[in-house]
Amino acid sequence: MAGPKSSSKPSPASSETYVAVSTLWTSYLDQTPDRLKFIDAFLAFTVLSGVLQFVYCVLVTNFPFNAFLAGFASSVGQFVLTASLRAQVNPENRSEFKEVSPERAFADFALGSIVLHFFVFNFLG
Amino acid sequence: MVWQFSWLLLAATVQAASLSLQSPRFTISTPDATQLRSDTLSLTKKPEPLTLGPTDTLKLTFQITESDEGKGVQPHQTFLRFYDKASGEEGIQPVRVTPGGKAKFELNMARPPASIPPTTHNPLEVSLILGSFVHAPAQYDLFDLYLPASHTPAEHPDEASFHVLPAIKHTFRPEQKSPPQFVSAIFAATVLSPWLVLIGLVRFLHQIDPQLTDFVIKVE
Repeated sequence: MAGPKSSSKPSPASSETYVAVSTLWTSYLDQTPDRLKFIDAFLAFTVLSGVLQFVYCVLVTNFPFNAFLAGFASSVGQFVLTASLRAQVNPENRSEFKEVSPERAFADFALGSIVLHFFVFNFLG
Repeated sequence: MVWQFSWLLLAATVQAASLSLQSPRFTISTPDATQLRSDTLSLTKKPEPLTLGPTDTLKLTFQITESDEGKGVQPHQTFLRFYDKASGEEGIQPVRVTPGGKAKFELNMARPPASIPPTTHNPLEVSLILGSFVHAPAQYDLFDLYLPASHTPAEHPDEASFHVLPAIKHTFRPEQKSPPQFVSAIFAATVLSPWLVLIGLVRFLHQIDPQLTDFVIKVE
C-alpha cells in the first residue's frame, strides 16, 4: 500500500488561488475605510444568520413555515438594505450618487429597516 | 265581423253532433287460424278479460257512425289506448278508419307494434278514443287484455358507472410536529451564534479605530 502522499509544497493551481485571496484580503484591510468595514461586519452577520436559518430548515424541519419565511426574509431584506446603504455611502461611488447624501442614504436605510421589521414581526406569527 | 261570428255559431251547432260505435267485434286466433275466442263487445258491460299468447292475434272490427244509426263517419282521430293501471304505463295506437267509418285493427303478438306499453302480469285496459273537429269527443272502455309479460329492458352501456362507489376514507396529513426540544435548543444556539460573530468583529474594529465604534461600545 503506498504511503500517504506528503505535499509540503501546494500545487500550482491552489497556490495561485491562495495568493489571489490573500492579496485581496490584505488590500481590503488596507484600502477600505473603517466605516465601510463596519457595514461589512454587519453584512457578514446578516449573511451568516440567513444561511444558518436555511440550513436548519433544510436539515430539521420547516414546520412553522411562516416563521422560517419571516426569519429568512428578514435576513435577506436586511442584507439588501445594508448593501444599498454601503453602495451609497462609499466615497468611491460619489459620482454615481450625486443627489444622495450619506445622511439621506442612512435615513432611507433606517426607514426601510423599520418597515421590513414591521412586516417580519407580523408574519412571524 | 258578423261573418266570423256566424261561422262560430255554425260550428257550435254542428258540435252538437256526437259519434257512436257500432258493432264492435273481437277475435283471438292462433297462428294456424284456429279461433280461440270471438265475440261482440257490449258498450255497457266489459266482457271477460281477453288473454293473448305469445303468438296469438287479436282482430278488432267496428264502425263509427254519427249518433246511432246515422251514416258512417271518419273521425279525425281514432286511437286505441292500452293502459296498465298498476304501473301507470300506457300506449296509444292509432287506428285507420275508412271514410265510411269502418275500422279494423289487428294485434299480432309475434310482431307487436312499438306502441304497446311494457306489460307485467296485470291486465291492460283497452279503450277507444275518438276525436273530431266537428263532433263531440268520445271514449269507450272496451275490454281488459292480458298480454305476455315484457322482458326487462336492456342494460344501458353506461349502467355500471352509476353503481355506488366504495366510501372514500380520507386520511388527512398528520399534524406537523415540532422537532425534539434538544435539537431545537441546539439549532437555536446555532442561529444566534452570528451575534457572537458580530460582537467579535465590532470589538476587532474598535481596536483598529476606537472612534468608529463609539456609539456601539463604550470605552471602559
